[in-house]
Amino acid sequence: MFILDIVSSLLLIAGVFFGLSGAIGLFKFPDFFTRVHAASVTDSIAAILIIGGLLLQTSFDLNTAKLFFILLFLMLTSPTASHALAKSARHGGLLTLAETNKDKQEQTH
Amino acid sequence: MHIGKWAALLSVFWILLSGYIQPLLLTFGVISIFIVLIVLKRMDDVDKEPKRISFRKQNIRYLLWLMGQIVSSSVHVTKLIWSSPDKLSPALAKVSVKNVPAKKQVMYANSITLTPGTLSVDLQDGEVTVHALQKSSIEELEQGDMEEKINGNWSKKK
Repeated sequence: MFILDIVSSLLLIAGVFFGLSGAIGLFKFPDFFTRVHAASVTDSIAAILIIGGLLLQTSFDLNTAKLFFILLFLMLTSPTASHALAKSARHGGLLTLAETNKDKQEQTH
Repeated sequence: MHIGKWAALLSVFWILLSGYIQPLLLTFGVISIFIVLIVLKRMDDVDKEPKRISFRKQNIRYLLWLMGQIVSSSVHVTKLIWSSPDKLSPALAKVSVKNVPAKKQVMYANSITLTPGTLSVDLQDGEVTVHALQKSSIEELEQGDMEEKINGNWSKKK
């Protein structure tokens, strides 16, 4: 199907764009917590768009169901992983950007 | 009844993953499902909170709404990534989740993490610690739009 191919490539291209944005944000953002946010762009929308694009490439058989399962489990596990990272960073005593700046100011005064 | 539902769900899951309908492989499938069900039964006896399966309209509607939220906030965060880093105003705040029933609190915290721009750091004593890229996202959460929707309350208009 010609139209399905076009829609599928549009979804894939958009997914790649968001994935790339996430990667760039990962380097550009200033501290750990903000970087997790950048990574979550890749986690959520890039995954949805790329798997959505791949769904349209299948011939709607068992592979479609498998891709659906991948999407479902990604949606369940990726926030859990981000949460585990952030929680352990927080409990390990990592400060957010605002708190670090405040500390610096207090030291200079 | 509840074990029966799980048996049906697991069977469908197994068939879809394998795709082979041969007696030998089907037997393996039945055995593995049976083992999972035994484990499930024993675990339910221990933790006393059986996990029920529900395909209620309300949940599906919530998922669709969440997809929309993910798209709009992803676009927002992507804009932030490509623009200058001065626009960031990372903030950490505690948002009360006392109005959300205990079983849905996990779903709520996961939804917060799933939408880019907000990240749930901790869930304790009915409060979620949320880290946000911009202060405005926390204000949006405090308005309780997502909270209302997760409780199945759609009446509130924006």
